[in-house]
Amino acid sequence: MSANPRPPVIDPANRTRLAWTRTAVAFAALGGAMLKLSPVAGLVVLVLSLPIWAVTSRRHGLGAAAASPRRLRLVTATVVVVAFAALLVAIFGHSPDSLGQLLRGR
Amino acid sequence: MTRAGDGHESPHDRRSDDPGPADTGPADTGPADTGPADTGPLGDRRPDASARDAEPAETEPDPRFTLANERTFLAWSRTALALVAAGLGIVQLLPPFPGVPAGRHVVGVPLIVLGAVMAVAAYVDMMRNQRALRRNQPLPRSVLPRLLAATIGGVATVAAVVVLLSATS
Repeated sequence: MSANPRPPVIDPANRTRLAWTRTAVAFAALGGAMLKLSPVAGLVVLVLSLPIWAVTSRRHGLGAAAASPRRLRLVTATVVVVAFAALLVAIFGHSPDSLGQLLRGR
Repeated sequence: MTRAGDGHESPHDRRSDDPGPADTGPADTGPADTGPADTGPLGDRRPDASARDAEPAETEPDPRFTLANERTFLAWSRTALALVAAGLGIVQLLPPFPGVPAGRHVVGVPLIVLGAVMAVAAYVDMMRNQRALRRNQPLPRSVLPRLLAATIGGVATVAAVVVLLSATS
């Protein structure tokens, strides 16, 4: 009987790089979806996903272990801007019963 | 670098990767929580003012802990994005509720706002965790799981009320 083989190990830095990739893809997917609802807001979100992608592609091994707080703040600020854009689309977007129309009394 | 990438994750690492409540922390959190600073030279509990006021020494933690903290932050950021997408989808893609003119907005807008709040809270949480790791202290409790659960519960209740009102009208 052989000893229990150790499971394959994924480098923590690789896992983190994959997490950054998933985040960048999530931004791009949301931007693509918003593009259909509001081209301007969708384009803004798509452009905002580019810096996230740039952070992803710059990470190499444990030497680049921790992302700087500036980059993490960038992610936070981008999510807040995306949420603000989504709020604008939700309230004033093209919809027969949008909140903007309702507030204006149609 | 200590055991970086060898696959042996400590409880600290696992906990940092899990966005759940931080009440099951590791026991080996160093001298910061019951340190000698509160104990006088004869072993009594007289606080030493200078030791109490001093900031704990900070050292760079194991890179695996920092990376796990970063992944947790990214996971919360994706959750925030998902909330924004869900709120936008509810407002823009669902058909209107008959009899409840602003029904979709009542359900969707809070989700979008929660997404923005959650992104900021995730950053604050991550910085607090990183500071605790540097000081070899227990990780602070996170407010994010409770915030998420409470808001989703509230939105689900409101959605149920809107659907019932719409059905009865």
